[in-house]
Amino acid sequence: MDGGFVLAFRAMGSPCEVRIDTTDRALAARLGGMAQAEALRIEYKYSRYRADSLLSRINASNGQPVTVDSETAELLDCAAQFHALSEGRFDITSGVLRRVWRFDQSDHVPAETEVAAVLPFVGWDRVTWHRPEITLPSGMEIDFGGLGKEYAVDTTVLKLQAASPAPFLVNFGGDLRVSGPRANGARWRVAIESVETANTAEAMLDLASGALTTSGDARRYLLRDGVRFGHILDPRTGWPVRDPPRSVTVAAPTCMEAGLISTLAMLHGADAEAFLEAEGVVAWWQR
Amino acid sequence: MQLTPPRRGRIAQALGLLTANLLAATCAQAQALSPAADAPPDAAAPRVGVNDDTQSDVGLTRLNAAVLFYSESGGRVKATEPVVSVTVNGSSGAVLTGRFTVDTLTGATPNGAAPWTGPQTFTTPAHAPGTTATVTGSSGGSTLVTIPGTGTVARQYVTPANTLPVDAGFRDLRTAVDLGYATPVWDGGRLSFGGSASTERDYRSYSGNAGLSQDFNQHNTTASISAEFEYDRSNPFFGTPTPFTVMSADAKGPARTKTVTSAVLGVTQVVNRYWLAQLNYTVGESNGYQTDPYRVLSVVDSVTGAPSQYLYENRPGSRLRQSVYFGNKVAWGPTVTDASVRFYHDSWGVNSVTAELSERVPVVSWLYVEPLARYYSQTAANFFRDYLIAGQPLPAFASSDSRLGKFQAQTYGLKVGIPITGHSEFDIPSSEVYFQVQDYKQTGSAQPGGVVPGLAHENFFSGVQAVSVFAGWTMAFY
Repeated sequence: MDGGFVLAFRAMGSPCEVRIDTTDRALAARLGGMAQAEALRIEYKYSRYRADSLLSRINASNGQPVTVDSETAELLDCAAQFHALSEGRFDITSGVLRRVWRFDQSDHVPAETEVAAVLPFVGWDRVTWHRPEITLPSGMEIDFGGLGKEYAVDTTVLKLQAASPAPFLVNFGGDLRVSGPRANGARWRVAIESVETANTAEAMLDLASGALTTSGDARRYLLRDGVRFGHILDPRTGWPVRDPPRSVTVAAPTCMEAGLISTLAMLHGADAEAFLEAEGVVAWWQR
Repeated sequence: MQLTPPRRGRIAQALGLLTANLLAATCAQAQALSPAADAPPDAAAPRVGVNDDTQSDVGLTRLNAAVLFYSESGGRVKATEPVVSVTVNGSSGAVLTGRFTVDTLTGATPNGAAPWTGPQTFTTPAHAPGTTATVTGSSGGSTLVTIPGTGTVARQYVTPANTLPVDAGFRDLRTAVDLGYATPVWDGGRLSFGGSASTERDYRSYSGNAGLSQDFNQHNTTASISAEFEYDRSNPFFGTPTPFTVMSADAKGPARTKTVTSAVLGVTQVVNRYWLAQLNYTVGESNGYQTDPYRVLSVVDSVTGAPSQYLYENRPGSRLRQSVYFGNKVAWGPTVTDASVRFYHDSWGVNSVTAELSERVPVVSWLYVEPLARYYSQTAANFFRDYLIAGQPLPAFASSDSRLGKFQAQTYGLKVGIPITGHSEFDIPSSEVYFQVQDYKQTGSAQPGGVVPGLAHENFFSGVQAVSVFAGWTMAFY
């Protein structure tokens, strides 16, 4: 990148980077540190891979009510509303399905009985959520896999904007958002990764404002008898949605909006394109 | 690749509003919690625990204040022990802990002599002139006497017939400070250091420890090793008596010291989401003065049991202790079971087993109860004697301390906890008030095998029966 700095780190299980369009090295370092701190804060709080995260402790509550802080309460409210908006397709309790579905490019497709056995533990309707108290029935889990990284991008953007007027781009594992045009008024150039070959670009996009996210099953799928089972699971059936696009990229003002729309598009399977067109969002997809 | 025209649909519109509200609401909160200048938190080893009360949190400070009342039945030892502790979790994953304890002990303890069919009189040195007298006149019935012709001031007390002699002139104040520091050193590794000091009027103890723990297996397994060195100095009120000399009012020898070196090897394993297991092996060696300077043994007639002398006891100068501990925390639905067993062996011949079971049961969101049961059984040290027999050669070592004798003990307890602000540990700041009552009872045989005929009706077992009440308050805040 010309005339700027790139600060890269790992957080939330993904490579993360912040591009800052400034000549001030110290400012760039400070903004990069803030971004990393925010990404790690959210990882520490909401990662399901961390036994000491707030989320893990909610999941270990064994049917007992857990009182959450207001930030978590806002996220749960948001998840609840989006569950309703998406008619149950978006569900933060669906992670339990991973107990039977392991998308390792093998042919280990679970039996119908196995899927049926975990379905009773899936469904936001089964969760008692009376802000600020959440009660998960025993055996159920929640995770913010579908919105945590996007939320982190948005909060980081707001924090960095408050700290400095310098233009920047925040990219956490492919979910990205820019603060506005670059210093010279130009757009940020962003590559959409090809689903066929890693590290090759399918297309280049120019972004002046807002966020871009991509949902897809590039490398996470099962293949059996020539049938491809993508990793997008429909929480209502416990089975992968049928015939989703290989990837969907959505542009929206915030990363959360973009991420929720791209995830929901995938959940519409064969009807993803129709859904995107009906919603009138700026989107790109690969079949 | 296709491009759709920008015309917002129902969901996209609702989402715009939803996320705008979310980010507006949470960003202020997020900034308050994590100021912009904050350094990124280190990838510190998370502690794993199932409803673990001591679980640490980055940036969290825990304060704990409690008071323990302990009372043995029969007018024996009473203790009041206030404790204040604080745990500060730094943003880098470092943890600093401090604890301050004050113990006040009063009451009577068995002096080691055997019971007899008549009253018994014991004479010990009085405290050196100029020191604060600790003799209790009322309950203890002690009197200060001057030994005729010597000018030596002695303390005398008389114990009634057919009872295990106790010395009531016992009162002490113990103050203790513990400090600990643990810090992540590399991914999954933690280094810890600690030190403690405690002081009583006649005893001082200092110790230092260092340990290392390492997480493996995605933090599901933690192995730890630690070592501790302790230095103790015993300075009895009237000096240190020479072992196996006759109890008297004469001035005694200088202060004596002891060192203890110990090591702990441990493994903690998260078996699954509901089960945490821990295995520890502890080995320690103590060298130096380990005799109780206030304790005597009766030398009795082999037939009548009449006491002819009281000799100061004598214990070996070294002791090697080993123990294995296996503990489990298991979450069954909403309740948490704590089950543990400990096996102990030492070179003095004491073998013991401890089994403990407690169950934490949430009754409602603002109240939990935790019943507890503990069983303990130990064998006697190989030099344990209820008394010595006149005319027989002295053994190398002898003590009648009931803590070195054979006994069993049962403890039953109940803890009640009431979280005050918030109904979970995630609601910060939160505080909790808790009360605990424990009933402890030792059982053992009243008489040694082959007791001399004259003592056949005496009760030698000084078994402790005690009730302890614990009231505490804990608070956590960022």
